[in-house]
Amino acid sequence: MQSAQVALESFFTMLQFLLPGLGVTVSVTMIALLMGCLIGAIMAVLRVYGNFTARSIALCYSYVVRAIPVVVIIFILYFVISEFIDLSPFMSGAVALGFASGAYQTEIFRGAILSIPSGQMVAARGIGMGRAKAIRCIIMPQALRVAIPALINEVSLVLKDSSLVFVIGVPELLRRAQYASASTMEPLLAFGTAAFFYILMTFTLTKILEAIEKRFSISF
Amino acid sequence: MNKPVLRIKNLTKSFGDTVVIKGVSFEVNPSEVIVVIGSSGTGKSTLLQCLNLLHTPDAGQIFLEDEEITSLDVNEDKVRQQMGMVFQEFNLFNHLSVLNNVAIGMVKVMGMPAGEAAKKAMKELSRVGMADHSEKYPAQLSGGQKQRVGIARALGMNPKVMLFDEPTSALDPELTGEVLAVMQKLATEGMTMVIVSHEMGFAREVADRVIFMENGYIEEQGTPEQIFENPRSQRTREFLSVINRK
Repeated sequence: MQSAQVALESFFTMLQFLLPGLGVTVSVTMIALLMGCLIGAIMAVLRVYGNFTARSIALCYSYVVRAIPVVVIIFILYFVISEFIDLSPFMSGAVALGFASGAYQTEIFRGAILSIPSGQMVAARGIGMGRAKAIRCIIMPQALRVAIPALINEVSLVLKDSSLVFVIGVPELLRRAQYASASTMEPLLAFGTAAFFYILMTFTLTKILEAIEKRFSISF
Repeated sequence: MNKPVLRIKNLTKSFGDTVVIKGVSFEVNPSEVIVVIGSSGTGKSTLLQCLNLLHTPDAGQIFLEDEEITSLDVNEDKVRQQMGMVFQEFNLFNHLSVLNNVAIGMVKVMGMPAGEAAKKAMKELSRVGMADHSEKYPAQLSGGQKQRVGIARALGMNPKVMLFDEPTSALDPELTGEVLAVMQKLATEGMTMVIVSHEMGFAREVADRVIFMENGYIEEQGTPEQIFENPRSQRTREFLSVINRK
């Protein structure tokens, strides 16, 4: 009984120590996801509807970035960015994650756009919409709904990849867990509690996004 | 003498090596209802899709009133605003309510304020008998209801001519009646219509002129009486006997 109480106290102490890291992790993840979403949507439209140059650029970006491990991208972008702009490791890491996620989201949005029946574009042109307007008003709103399940998955992946920014010294959850593990000599407690937090965040974010999906779902 | 709404001169269209439309010429006068008949694959749908420039003709000219719409510097979007198209597969915008399906063209293309567009949309929906369903979504509608909304959507743009591409071919037989009734109503209201259809009964009743297409060219054209009772061409007679046997 005594040891169980001690264990619980240690757990709560660890929770409190790791908590600031939670805030950083969530922030990095959110920035990366939003950035990736913007890049992904634009690149996907370029890939599907662009001229030869636009398609090639988007294709290159998508293939090359997806072929490189995210941690390598983080390192490369960190050293590249620090040459030109004075960015904190936090922003640098978030931008790198966003840049990487954008490549995967390009493919998600591309698949979603291609799944929209071709008759939708034909009908939009039929009432006199230009191509850009048709993409914006008819195709993308439907593609977004189709993409949501895959995007929910991407949220989970980016959340986990956010742990990689520890390599450039961002004090997110994993970094703090490492400190805690080193100072308390209790790796299981430190990393176990971190894992608990990751599970909690994934669960919460997924539930929120599923609620959003329900709100916007229309049977097709 | 009113000038024709549409003048088609020597329209030619190929896909790859296959010449689908081989020099077709005809005119469409205001308030005229033209029904194009013919076996599958004779280029009827392609012809219609060339009229509103969804396909670019390879040769020939099309005139919408005074404007040559096949000229190189024409604004295709503006042309399509003036021609309403109704599709075999309906192609309703699945993410929008029935009302917004009809209104979106008015708002986004014609720049109408949303309130005004909603009112006009309800008017068009009443015209096709779908006003009660304005808040529903396409997935909740039957085929006949979807097609009527499709007609309302095309009407909402105030087109000079309505093009119907086999509007009832994808419908169950019980549902074709409601769509054909709407089309007949439009005809009596004076809408200029070019209809590709297999509905011979409708053509007999409503068409001012029937065009029989065969192998990419116009085999014969005339009033419904001329085509159905006294066809001049052998091929027309053969086609009609096949149809009548069904």
